[in-house]
Amino acid sequence: MRWRDWLPLQHPPGIGVRLIAFNRLRLLAAFAGIGVAVAVMFVEFGLLMGILNSQSLMATLVRGELVVVNEARTNLHKWDSMNRIRLNQIAADPDVERVIPVYLGNMGLRDPATNSVRRILVVAFPSGELPFAIGDPDAVARALRSPNTVLFDRLSRPIYPDIVADGEAELNGLSYRVAGYVDLGPDIIHDGAIVMSDASWFQRNPNARPIMGVIRLAEGADTDAVRERLIAALPDDVSFFTPEELRQREFDFTLRSAPIGILFGIGMLAGLVIGSITCYQILFNEIVDRLKQYATLKAMGFSEVFLRGIIIEQALLLACGGFLGGLIFAWGSYIYIADRTALAVTLSVPSVLLIFFMAAGMSVVAALIALRRVVTADPAELY
Amino acid sequence: MARMDSSSKSSADIAVVASDVDYAYGTDANPKPILRSVDLTLARGEFVILTGPSGAGKTTLMTLIGALRSVQKGSIKVLGTELARLPAAGQRDVRRRIGFIFQDHNLFDALTAFQTLRLAMELAEKRPSYDEALSRAGDLMAALGMEKHLHARPGELSTGQKQRVAIARALINDPSLILADEPTASLDQGSAGAVIDIIRDRIVRAGAAALMVTHDTRLFSVADRVVRMEDGRVVEPS
Ligand SMILES: Nc1ncnc2c1ncn2[C@@H]1O[C@H](COP(=O)(O)OP(=O)(O)OP(=O)(O)O)[C@@H](O)[C@H]1O
Ligand SMILES: [Mg+2]
Repeated sequence: MRWRDWLPLQHPPGIGVRLIAFNRLRLLAAFAGIGVAVAVMFVEFGLLMGILNSQSLMATLVRGELVVVNEARTNLHKWDSMNRIRLNQIAADPDVERVIPVYLGNMGLRDPATNSVRRILVVAFPSGELPFAIGDPDAVARALRSPNTVLFDRLSRPIYPDIVADGEAELNGLSYRVAGYVDLGPDIIHDGAIVMSDASWFQRNPNARPIMGVIRLAEGADTDAVRERLIAALPDDVSFFTPEELRQREFDFTLRSAPIGILFGIGMLAGLVIGSITCYQILFNEIVDRLKQYATLKAMGFSEVFLRGIIIEQALLLACGGFLGGLIFAWGSYIYIADRTALAVTLSVPSVLLIFFMAAGMSVVAALIALRRVVTADPAELY
Repeated sequence: MARMDSSSKSSADIAVVASDVDYAYGTDANPKPILRSVDLTLARGEFVILTGPSGAGKTTLMTLIGALRSVQKGSIKVLGTELARLPAAGQRDVRRRIGFIFQDHNLFDALTAFQTLRLAMELAEKRPSYDEALSRAGDLMAALGMEKHLHARPGELSTGQKQRVAIARALINDPSLILADEPTASLDQGSAGAVIDIIRDRIVRAGAAALMVTHDTRLFSVADRVVRMEDGRVVEPS
């Protein structure tokens, strides 16, 4: 007796799995077909999340309890600057320990080999303070203390010339010393970044105004209470956010304002539709091939619920197999995409669960449509 | 073989009573009448053969008695249940007490004989344990000369062997009524005889009734009665 004969044949589970697993080749083809659709969903979803996460990256890296920005700055890529006075006003609050101004700008980085110049994001802040979690604070402070020194974002897309630590970099025609690296990461607008001290930045832009301020509170201070006080004390040309609020706002803004939400939504929908159709066709063929057998079960007195159970069991098996295939394929794709785009595409547990339930839902819907064929199996036609 | 007079039996001994049954295919506007005031009674313990020329309506009558089609006109009482105007769920309950043997075996290619029988046993009023199921399936398969093929899939069996698995499936729950439409068509004479013996044995032991359609006149001698149909009417009742 083979091991399979010992499996419980009660229903569920049992017959559905046995029936669909009988033709191994067909099953593998089915897994592959549904797997491709699942992988499409994964890749579309991963790209979308990657873009959303990359766009809000700066908010997630903030080292502080609150962030102050110009009230007109509806998203992180809109660079409305603030009056410096505002930061001093904030610093006057007894519970505020420190306000770190952050300056943003673009410079041209020349590639000595090709003489081409590429735009690069500049993030500047006081050399003794590190407003973002992009490296070791002491090391960054030490490096930025010397004038005309920059740190290169090691996660930048590989379109820039080789930047070596202790080497030189030519920015807007001036030579800077590269003291080392930070880890920031690009988004869809910026391919890479360098970090410098605000002093170095002022040499090029004497009138620069801060684009954001990272606020650090005294130990034990109540963030909401401080925020209330600051809002009351300051004119309403500035807004205050916690880093998480800022991240969420950026996330929502990108999803709503840019067409990418729709774009990738359509991509996922395409995966869903392809998957459903594939699943439907496989199930439909399975049913049609065994219509007389199903009719026999009906004649014997099995209920339609029982027959439906068999088909749904088959659908769920297809979904699970297809999902696993798609997951493996997506995993490879994510590594490739992350490598090529430097976007923050990762397989998170919620996204894996979301896609799993989408795959399961899609196959069950396909099963419910295919089921209409089983219902037509007329046992009276058997004799 | 002793012939039984079903009309003298009490209602508890009656398996099937069909009276004044009409049946038409086609639409209401364009009916194609097949059965015309058919009367047929089957007593428990009785083995009846239904025969007649092709197109006479034998299969149609069989599907009506088997609650596979709804009664249009007349009355059919099967195992104590009136089938006329019986809702679908009631029809299903009646079918669970009937052993159907079709011309085709209609076995799932993925299931072994034992799995097929175990699946059928899911419908039994008391579902047997695995070991009980195994021994019951083994006994029945042995009685059909199939003891070596209990764990074989249809792909490993000959047509006749597959048909015997299908017959085992019909008999495994000890049905009170056996409906068979040319069950021996795919069998050689030896296995056909074995199949008839098994059905006979069930009738005698379990007090079941059997209605079998066949053109094979050699089988007539084993039946208690032979009913002949022609053009939708019973022409030769016994
Ligand atoms: N589903 C159907 N729809 C319409 N007409 C049908 C249908 N099934 C059978 N018929 C017709 O009804 C008549 C009786 O058919 P039935 O199958 O009951 O005959 P039968 O006595 O079993 O014949 P055979 O010996 O060939 O099996 C035939 O003329 C057949 O063409
Ligand atoms: Mg017929």
